[in-house]
Amino acid sequence: MSTLDPQQLKLWLAAVARKDAQAFRFLYDTTSPKLFGFALRILTKRELAEEVLQESFVSIWNNAGSYQAGLAAPMTWMTTIVRNKAFDLLRRVDHTAEIDADTFDKDVMNAMESADPTPIESLQLSADSKALARCMTRLEALHRQAIALAFYHDLSHSEVAEQLSLPIGTVKTWIRRGLERLRLCLQKMEDA
Amino acid sequence: MNIAGNERLLDKLAAEYVLGTLKGGARRRYERWLRTDPSVRRATAEWQDRLHPMAEFSTAVEPPAQVWRSIASSLGLQAGTRTASTDRWAFWRGLRDDLSFWRGLGMASTAMATVLIAVLATRAPQPVAPVNSFVAMLTDDKAQPVAVVTGDQKNHRLTVKLVMPQTVAADKSLELWAVPKSGSPRSLGLLSANGSITLPLPADATPQTVGLLAVSLEPKGGSLNPNSPSGPIIFKGAWIVI
Repeated sequence: MSTLDPQQLKLWLAAVARKDAQAFRFLYDTTSPKLFGFALRILTKRELAEEVLQESFVSIWNNAGSYQAGLAAPMTWMTTIVRNKAFDLLRRVDHTAEIDADTFDKDVMNAMESADPTPIESLQLSADSKALARCMTRLEALHRQAIALAFYHDLSHSEVAEQLSLPIGTVKTWIRRGLERLRLCLQKMEDA
Repeated sequence: MNIAGNERLLDKLAAEYVLGTLKGGARRRYERWLRTDPSVRRATAEWQDRLHPMAEFSTAVEPPAQVWRSIASSLGLQAGTRTASTDRWAFWRGLRDDLSFWRGLGMASTAMATVLIAVLATRAPQPVAPVNSFVAMLTDDKAQPVAVVTGDQKNHRLTVKLVMPQTVAADKSLELWAVPKSGSPRSLGLLSANGSITLPLPADATPQTVGLLAVSLEPKGGSLNPNSPSGPIIFKGAWIVI
């Protein structure tokens, strides 16, 4: 039983577009822990993550009318807002977030590397997220790490190369191949 | 550079844009296309759907209550769960609209409920009171029956029997709600994840005033507000007289 059921989130977003404050509260209660965890992962500092979460939900309230259910999953739409706000804030305060080479939380890393399906189940991920986690386990560890570093820290190819102490050409190729493999793997899961 | 018709290139640029590795002039150029070209918007949305679920890999962290208060005050909402908006029960009205669906199924569900009550009655040491009994069959979003609720007006008792045992996380509770035809919902109590449970039946929670029963997934111990669920509604069903 996932609390991040996309159908439920879509209903709430539609109600929020009609300025239904009750539905907005439900949406906040259900999604804010995941979104706050995400903001915290990018920004590392609690006060910055709180600021971004607040700005993001104000933006969700104001822009719910422009959410197109046919174009993006509700969590995708909301995480896009959180991610943009987080990176904007980092640029504004000229703050460099701490980057640890192990970009994912340990639980997720262990779950992804385990052949046993139970750990991934226990993370209570949405179906989309579970599919992506499974496809990412099939990438080579360094390719996965390069993609995760770029995603979580808004890094350029050369910054990823610097983090991993590798030549930029290698990193570019890995990321390009990694993304292509993810696309094929997700496609296959969808067809299955 | 023209990317119209060059799908391979568009796909590659969209992926790098969403991942964030497309920087500087190339990024600004891409954003211009994004504003004007629907095919670029679609390719971007597809990659967002592919990669953004990575956000969920972070462990969920409960934000401090202050964050919600700041959001509510900056938007002019009341800090609680209520709002002064005339539309405040729109969500519940939406749920009630489902009653038309339920009325259509009335015959079938009544028959099914009767069978289930017969089963329950044969197992229970005492027969179900024949007069002024109420029943609701609660189903999940796939219309699978999950629980049968029976109301005994004479003894002011509600019995909830889970016909499909549920897996509930240790930090969550299932809460039963009466959704009246007008006014705010009201908590009837917490449910166990399987087996039967008996709860008090309030005198005014009859099908005359309450059209629908619903179960929400709540933090352990239930919603802090007895007149409003804080979590998603996961099962519901019409409350009818038998």
